[in-house]
Amino acid sequence: MKHQSEKLLSAIVALILLFSLSACGSGASNQSSSKPAKGGTLKVAYASEPATLDWSYTSASATRDIGWNIFETLFTLDKNYDIKPMLASSYRVSKDRKVYTIKLRRGVKFHDGSVMTASDVKASFNRWRKVSSVGQITDPYIKKITPVDEHTIQVTLKTPYESFISNISAPKSALAIIPAKIANQAKDKPLSNNQLTGTGPYKLSTWTKGQKIELARFNQYSARKETHWGGLTGKKTAYFKKIDFLIVKDAQVRQNGLKTGLYDYAQSIPTDLYDSIQSSGQVKPVTYINGYSAVTPDKSEPPFNDIKARQALNDALNKEAIAKATYGNKKFYQMDGALFDPQQKQLYTKAGTRPYLAYNEGKARQLLKESSYDGRTLKIIYSNNNDNYKEIAEIVKQQMEAVGFKVELIPYEWATFLTKWENPKNWDLEIVGWSTRFSPVELGMLQLNTNSSGWYKSRKWESLLGQWGKAVTEKQKQEVLAQMNRTVYTELPFYKIANEKTLDIRSSQLHYDSWLGERFWNTWKTNE
Amino acid sequence: MLRYVVNRIVSLLPVLIIVSIIVFLIIHLTPGNPATLILGEEASPTSIHQLEEKLGLNQPIVVQYLDWLKKMVTGDFGQSVYSSEPVTHMIAANLGPTFSLMVFALILTLIIAIPMAVIAVWKRNTILDPIFISVSLLGVSIPAFWLAILLVLIFAVALPVFPVAGYVPLSRNFLGGLYHLFLPAFILAAVETGLVARMLRDGMLEAVNQNYTKTARAKGLTESTVLLKHVLANALIPTTTVIGTMVAGLMGGTVIVETIFTIPGIGQLLIDSIYRRDYPVIQGVILFIAVVYVLVNLIVDLLYTLLDPRIRYD
Repeated sequence: MKHQSEKLLSAIVALILLFSLSACGSGASNQSSSKPAKGGTLKVAYASEPATLDWSYTSASATRDIGWNIFETLFTLDKNYDIKPMLASSYRVSKDRKVYTIKLRRGVKFHDGSVMTASDVKASFNRWRKVSSVGQITDPYIKKITPVDEHTIQVTLKTPYESFISNISAPKSALAIIPAKIANQAKDKPLSNNQLTGTGPYKLSTWTKGQKIELARFNQYSARKETHWGGLTGKKTAYFKKIDFLIVKDAQVRQNGLKTGLYDYAQSIPTDLYDSIQSSGQVKPVTYINGYSAVTPDKSEPPFNDIKARQALNDALNKEAIAKATYGNKKFYQMDGALFDPQQKQLYTKAGTRPYLAYNEGKARQLLKESSYDGRTLKIIYSNNNDNYKEIAEIVKQQMEAVGFKVELIPYEWATFLTKWENPKNWDLEIVGWSTRFSPVELGMLQLNTNSSGWYKSRKWESLLGQWGKAVTEKQKQEVLAQMNRTVYTELPFYKIANEKTLDIRSSQLHYDSWLGERFWNTWKTNE
Repeated sequence: MLRYVVNRIVSLLPVLIIVSIIVFLIIHLTPGNPATLILGEEASPTSIHQLEEKLGLNQPIVVQYLDWLKKMVTGDFGQSVYSSEPVTHMIAANLGPTFSLMVFALILTLIIAIPMAVIAVWKRNTILDPIFISVSLLGVSIPAFWLAILLVLIFAVALPVFPVAGYVPLSRNFLGGLYHLFLPAFILAAVETGLVARMLRDGMLEAVNQNYTKTARAKGLTESTVLLKHVLANALIPTTTVIGTMVAGLMGGTVIVETIFTIPGIGQLLIDSIYRRDYPVIQGVILFIAVVYVLVNLIVDLLYTLLDPRIRYD
């Protein structure tokens, strides 16, 4: 009788063994990763699934980083964040600076095979004015848009507005050029999957919701010639035949998957893993600028409607200590008080940022006494889905308490945070990160009288935005930018903590040129 | 029998209505606005308002509920506010992975639990029994997410035997699919095995000393026949009940395991929809789970009549 049950047992064990062996066999064939330079599939572990791939419709980075493989704009940014033509070949501005005549490149094909003409550009423009947050800012300045001939379009403005070219080049809620037929069909709705027709080097092949977004090489892509421009323009070659953006929400899984060859590229990895990545041969880090973290006071109510209280807070914050504790590795943060990143040469000036590191506890205490602060407990809200903001909130609390503020931390899950943010009753200080911006009009933390700026009201800032719209030369622009810095450090609508850098990782076999976000043209895999 | 089944199914209705009201209230009272999440945090209030109107989110909550109920009665679960896909399509598309995972986990549970219990009863007076008790207790107590992380680190990263994540539909590649599902199913099974094995062991121990067992032994049957044919069969009824409730446990477990292994199943759909405040999808998925749960329990009750012909529903 023993014999029989042993037989049963050994049969089960054998079955399990057999099963796991056969499993190993089928897995091994999936792992052959060496591919020639041209062709093959790029597997990207992508952190969050976008709501839509319509690059005009939303400002979400998840949309942007896939969208710009599919769509292109008339003008865009090169690797130095300078504006360069993409689908346009050149443009001219009239003497009164109101009429922009834009020449289009010839023979550029959409993914549906049709050739891009001025009427497509006009229809895309009109849709962008309605659906894009940047388009809505630009719309009031536009008087009319007229196609001059098949390859020329003329935009007439109501008043001179020098931000015009910069706005239509912004890679955020971008003016993506789509066929007129589709633009007219979609109107103010987001493009549906079968309407995602652009001119980019890749086109959408399938989108399996919750799983993956597959792009396929667009074989009729008409590339520009410039090989040295980089960024979002210049010569783009689609080396991979396919790109699979696999939705992998867990950072640990993205990292493990890359290590075991499941992915070639993984987005958004916690920066404290940098050292362990550096020491491994198969995984390489990819870093790029990603805006900055900021603390914003609610200026519609006491105590921060009082400039004295805001000054006290600026002196209370030891930003270097906050950044060091939050980001740790110097590679991932930079102490700089300007509104833009030093890499954005046309937008960056250090002038006027001296009070950025004004830390002085004694002075803070003094200012707080002089202010109208009545000793009430202040609420700091932040989203708990990002460890950095949690860390910043904790240190800000300590530093505020050191000078006499009373503070309470209130973490929320992201969607709840967004709703709580809308009402000044819910918070006194709010901590969030702002992704890289490409024009002063896009600075979310300075959108006058909205919750994102903490209900900032300023004649000075309003007039500076007006001046920015009129500044033509580099020198004039730099002067306005310096004034902007000065205004921010006098009126203290928000407190910048530090410039942030993001960490992605790639397989060491992947040839990839790091810029902002993920772009996968001019990317290939070697056999080494 | 038929009448019993019909009665049980009709009694499902009030359950579903209560579930739907509770879920509707909870998700709508939770702060968060799908329109802001779709348009990005810097969208203008006018665009957000327009989108809310388009999605019907500006209506009073009672109106929204009644609208939803009206549609649901006709079998229309509405559309996702996030991707505008019909909710029924989304559930159907995510059902395969969850179903395969659950069935696989269930089979693994039985493959491990039954021999374990049989051996424990067979060797009931040896050191094996206390070992069995500790192991099964450990299985019940270990949190699934912790076990998942540990097993991934050992069997997918350190020793790359299994993939760290991913899903291959069984219909496309059966063996490849099982290979991808093995670790997640094993983790789900590990938690459930402890429970099932202990239920079985207790049931069998009770049956071991019953008169019919003695009779069987007296007839000269081998110990293995006695254990497998008489003792085990009689211990199966209480175990079947446990397996019924296990389906609910597995559903809860899949939420965690699917997230860790990026398996595009019902659990992940539910979690994503909660983060996105995708109300119609949350509502649809929870109702679906409620229906499955009630139906599984009905099936378990009907199974009793097969396992024990003395039980009848008349």
